[in-house]
Amino acid sequence: MAESDPTLGYLTRKDTEVKLPRPTRVKNKTPAPIQITAEQILREARERQEAEIRPPKQKITDSTELADYRLRKRKEYEDLIRRVRWNIGVWVKYAQWEESQKDFNRARSVWERALEVDYRNHTLWLKYAEMEMKNKFINHARNVWDRAVSLLPRIDQLWYKYIHMEEMLGNIAGARQIFERWMSWTPDQQGWLSYIKFELRYNEIDRARGIYERFVLCHPRVSAWIKFAKFEMKNGEVARARAVYEQAVQKLADDEEAEILFVAFAEFEERCKETERARCIYKFALDHIPKGRAEDLYRKFVAFEKQYGDREGIEDAIVGKRRFQYEDEVRKNPLNYDSWFDYIRLEESVGNKARTREVYERAIANVPPAEEKRYWQRYIYLWINYALYEELDAQDMERTRDVYRYVSFH
Amino acid sequence: MNEARKANQTAMVAEKKKMEAPAESRGISKQKWLEERKKKVGKILDANGLDMSKAYMLDTQDAAESKYKKWEKDPAPYGWDVFNPKTLYNAYKKRTKNIDVDLDEYNKLKEADPEFYREASSLQYGKAPKVSEDRIEKMVKELNNREEKRKSFSRRRKFHEEKDIDSINDRNEHFNKKIERAFGKYTLEIKNNLERGTALPD
Repeated sequence: MAESDPTLGYLTRKDTEVKLPRPTRVKNKTPAPIQITAEQILREARERQEAEIRPPKQKITDSTELADYRLRKRKEYEDLIRRVRWNIGVWVKYAQWEESQKDFNRARSVWERALEVDYRNHTLWLKYAEMEMKNKFINHARNVWDRAVSLLPRIDQLWYKYIHMEEMLGNIAGARQIFERWMSWTPDQQGWLSYIKFELRYNEIDRARGIYERFVLCHPRVSAWIKFAKFEMKNGEVARARAVYEQAVQKLADDEEAEILFVAFAEFEERCKETERARCIYKFALDHIPKGRAEDLYRKFVAFEKQYGDREGIEDAIVGKRRFQYEDEVRKNPLNYDSWFDYIRLEESVGNKARTREVYERAIANVPPAEEKRYWQRYIYLWINYALYEELDAQDMERTRDVYRYVSFH
Repeated sequence: MNEARKANQTAMVAEKKKMEAPAESRGISKQKWLEERKKKVGKILDANGLDMSKAYMLDTQDAAESKYKKWEKDPAPYGWDVFNPKTLYNAYKKRTKNIDVDLDEYNKLKEADPEFYREASSLQYGKAPKVSEDRIEKMVKELNNREEKRKSFSRRRKFHEEKDIDSINDRNEHFNKKIERAFGKYTLEIKNNLERGTALPD
């Protein structure tokens, strides 16, 4: 009979059945008079917490106890790292505990094992090297740094700290060599700038210049060139600074940030009291840059002319700016006669006949679309203004007659 | 006697040098430029009968606007972004201020070493010069300093007493904080429904 239940083995059915108490019928389904909330339960649980049980503090008296303690801790740590191999925090704690026990060989072996797990973790390298440095193992530290920097060359922090260590130790030539190694990886701007600052700390201006030249080759951006030029200015080398600016303009005239470069160049010339050159630069820049981005440049130009230019120059600059605005407007809305009128007024105030005529001609060319009166009203006013202008301002009777004839013809 | 006189002489020269400003190594030093500017501002203020504390009255509107713009700071990086390349670079720059530049020693080293400006692939890489004890001491001290600063890196957050208790324990509280951070924004609706007792018919 027992073998007919293969799952039960030697036990019978009677032994294994579960005897539950019979469910009683619920008599009263109304809510209890005193309700309890979840929050109350939590609060009570909190209050009834007992203090955490901690092992008692033991003082270690002799070397056997110390050895025991160390054994225990090591076993603990080894178990932890066996359980969770990828938890770098535990590895770091283990290694730092060994360091605190002054057992550097063991500490080093722990660090190396941790690096075997994950060599791409820059914090591991940093902490390892710091351990060597703090305990004055300079050549060990150099070894660690060298490996770190060879394996993870794109992590700038490692380079910074390595170089800083060499510089603190006074090994400037070594620091320089490391910088050179780093630059061959073409890091970002900050890397180059820290190299330049390093050279300048020791007043090596020629070397700094060389590095700047490589820098602007590696990062051909406007800000890099401006930094180079400012460096030359700071050393008082005006001719070199000018050469730098000119080179920059040659290379970066079509860059999207070219206006910043032009503004900086012009300001430099102003500082050197070369107003003619500054004016030329502004004009060149205004011709070169599309109108959309020239806003800032215009403002600076106007300010410059106000300071140094004569009346005509100032007017020219201001008028030029307004001219651009109107050009923009009439391009967008050729049938908006109000903007045409404003434009014409501006040109008349300047007094340049050729330009005024040109604007008038363009204005008239925009014939209104429909044969409705209100469109034509304003349009006619254009013609009338034109005729008046020719008569009064230009004093050219022939042209006035031409205009009138043309109007009457249509 | 002679030696005493010589010693006095050198001491006098050193003190004199310390009194006057050091020679300008590159361009105009920042201090000098600042002093000149202060003097100019002071002169204009006197002309207008103003006090040094009202120096801001001299600013044009543009200058004032640019100053206000400077005061608007970018939001400080939080989380792991605190270690972005820019902040690491700034930290390195700050550390370079601890370096004492000893130009005499530098020049001596320059004389001694034929390959002072070495390339990246120079074979002098492993051969390091003898490092003096006090340099090592300084380095160790700086590292210990850094470690102290690192300890005070995280600030203690405020304990909100009026907040609801939803934990039975400190560990539980910590865990609840973590999962709130992760799931809070997704479970907000569900939690509100539970508080209300019924779900909204949206």
